[in-house]
Amino acid sequence: MSEPYYPSSPEPPVPPAPKGRRTSARSALVVVFLAALLLVLFEGSSIRDAGEEMDPGLGRELTLAIGEPTGWVSDLLPFEDWTDDALAFLEDEDVGAAGAFQSAASGAGTGRGVPPVPPSSFDPGELGMEPPPLGELDTLLVTGDSLSMPLDLELARRLADTGDVEVERDPHVGTGISKTGLVDWGRLSTEQTAEHEADAVVVFIGANEGFELPAPGGGQVECCGPEWAAEYAYRVRRMMNTYRRGGRARVYWLTLPAPRAEDRQEVARAVNAAIEVAAQPYRAHVRVVDMEALFTPGGRYRDAMTVDGRRQIVREPDGIHLNARGSGLAAAAVLAAVRRDFGG
Amino acid sequence: MVFPSYEFAFFFPVVLALSWALMPRQRLWKPFVLAASYVFYAAASPGYALLLAGVTLANQLGAVLVGRSSDERSRRRIMTATVVVDLGVLGLFKYYGFFAGEIGSFLDSLGLGMPLPLLTLALPIGLSFITFQAISYVVDVKRGILTPAATIDFALYLSFFPHVVAGPIVRAREFIPQLATPRDPRNVAVGAGVVLIATGLVKKVAIADYLAREAVDPVFGVPEAYAAPDVALAAYAYAAQIYCDFSGYTDIAIGVALLMGFVFPQNFNNPYRATSFRDFWRRWHMTLSRFLRDFLYVPLGGNRGGRLRTARNLMITMVLGGLWHGAAWGFVLWGALHGVCLVAEHVMRGRGVKAPPAWLRWALVFHLVVLGWILFRAESLDLAGTFIAQLAEPGAATLWTPATLAAVLVVIGFQLLPPDPIERLRERLTALPAPALGTALALVVALVGATVPSQGVPPFIYFQF
Repeated sequence: MSEPYYPSSPEPPVPPAPKGRRTSARSALVVVFLAALLLVLFEGSSIRDAGEEMDPGLGRELTLAIGEPTGWVSDLLPFEDWTDDALAFLEDEDVGAAGAFQSAASGAGTGRGVPPVPPSSFDPGELGMEPPPLGELDTLLVTGDSLSMPLDLELARRLADTGDVEVERDPHVGTGISKTGLVDWGRLSTEQTAEHEADAVVVFIGANEGFELPAPGGGQVECCGPEWAAEYAYRVRRMMNTYRRGGRARVYWLTLPAPRAEDRQEVARAVNAAIEVAAQPYRAHVRVVDMEALFTPGGRYRDAMTVDGRRQIVREPDGIHLNARGSGLAAAAVLAAVRRDFGG
Repeated sequence: MVFPSYEFAFFFPVVLALSWALMPRQRLWKPFVLAASYVFYAAASPGYALLLAGVTLANQLGAVLVGRSSDERSRRRIMTATVVVDLGVLGLFKYYGFFAGEIGSFLDSLGLGMPLPLLTLALPIGLSFITFQAISYVVDVKRGILTPAATIDFALYLSFFPHVVAGPIVRAREFIPQLATPRDPRNVAVGAGVVLIATGLVKKVAIADYLAREAVDPVFGVPEAYAAPDVALAAYAYAAQIYCDFSGYTDIAIGVALLMGFVFPQNFNNPYRATSFRDFWRRWHMTLSRFLRDFLYVPLGGNRGGRLRTARNLMITMVLGGLWHGAAWGFVLWGALHGVCLVAEHVMRGRGVKAPPAWLRWALVFHLVVLGWILFRAESLDLAGTFIAQLAEPGAATLWTPATLAAVLVVIGFQLLPPDPIERLRERLTALPAPALGTALALVVALVGATVPSQGVPPFIYFQF
């Protein structure tokens, strides 16, 4: 058998260096370290802020180890304020401070005695009564962290056929209710409600939970015991109350399907328990859509499940998120709940 | 670890300083840069580093055995076995879910059930690039172009952090000779490296991510909700986005390597300036093009068997090139579209058909490339069909803003300008003194950083490949 023909490659063995001035390695170090120094002086505290927002791990420790001293230096100097003012035109609009978790008291132990039970704690349907008529579903807001993607797209596509419902998608990747530095969901939910005045709000959040929360008596409470769940439930309840707009809107809050990793399962269990508790006073307006029962019955993780008589993969390889097919199933469950409320 | 991140901002100055400090002592420099590269790669998941080490050892073993064997049949068998291992690893992680699902669905429709377990496997970052580079090494050793390198040199070649995640696909014979002698610390393309890093950051963070947020993602997500003006804008915006995203990554990778004293091949050369598909593939992802040419198209026979064979070889090459990007029918169709266009050009050249004017050729090629990007970007063929159908749907332009239009026009229009003045400007920038370059780099990072939304910097598109 003869050797196949290979042409002599037109490329030289080592690529030619780009044109331009050649200097010394010392110059390379001057450039890089000077840029780093200037960024520390002018943007030092942003390193610390970024570190505080990172998930626990070596990256966070490293970023904080550098960010805390650089932030301290930056705080002492006026340069960062100058930079912020100069670059403000490029940044995202501030969502305002109203409703922020950071400025609010802890939830547990704030009342004395037995709290009253409001009528909104009961879903009229569960009592065998006709629910009060709802207005038209004009605007549906889908929000949350990365879990809400591509659920938001699935809902938008399914409702696009009707042409009557405007679907607003507002995912905030990498955020969580138990971490407030990057996005304060208390504040954001207030801002979203004012901006969209949605008739229905779909919330799917919890891929990045498990951060320490402020304890009632000061200090921090670690995930995932009753104290943490209580604080988390309080934050969820505040958001539910904001989104339901005094009963003018319906909220569809999705629980978490069990993730693959055991440490994340512990967080998911606490989050799901908190969602159930948080919704109790608002059963008339808040629907808890159970993703755990749909995707991971009994809390047992699985990549694939039977859909339309066939085994199909419903999870992303990370073992946390739903893939497009899984999101389609979640969207169907949400829309069934929406249609029970709004008809159609 | 990604380039536009705090982790890399801490990692790189330290590694750069130690790298130049250790450069004269190659016995220390090589293990140091190898360890740094593994730290960089393992930042995503330590398990990925184990896989990289496994691929390295398997290919080095194959290359050494090929190098030692004098029998041509044995050399061929060893090379084939090593390439099969590489493709097996790639196939398992990248294509298992796709093919298990597709084959299972087909067998199920015949009433035979689904014999393959449905699993989701996380694709290790950069695996497609790593395996292609490993294949190039073993095959070049088999072809006698290279002799087997020292294991540490080969390990460095595969894992070198500037290119391990998303290329460019550097051939072993381009990189390993650069390890033979220490890099000259008096002859470093500092200006060129800094200009490339700054350009790459602007392309990725300020332009690509902006276009994705404002025009591309909303329309590709729910195309039926938008009318023709927005859908057309999204199509052009994606052409600009994917160019800025991928060439931005490549610019940073090449710039970082230059600061460390290494030269990588060019990967992009104004692709939207192309007036033919052959021209396009000499300008777009050039290192993939030449890999496919040298390791697939030519071994298939290239253009040496008549028109039909050439057409077959072009189609196989482009369809597999499409599939390399991911396990989805959209990528396959994208590759097939490019293959058909290349075949059509080849046939027309062979028949001596008179070429239309250059502006018409440019317009035709550019719009077919944009059509291809729709197949490439859409999450499914159904959505691609809906997207294309919506191009005929009259309605309002809700996403047309001056900034979005300007970004698309600048990215595409810039490539149509005469290259010489731009090259002269680049050379003048590279000649700036080090303090000016450092200040300019800090300014660019601050400006670009201010445009990052609360969600952070999304991953580079080519990380998923």
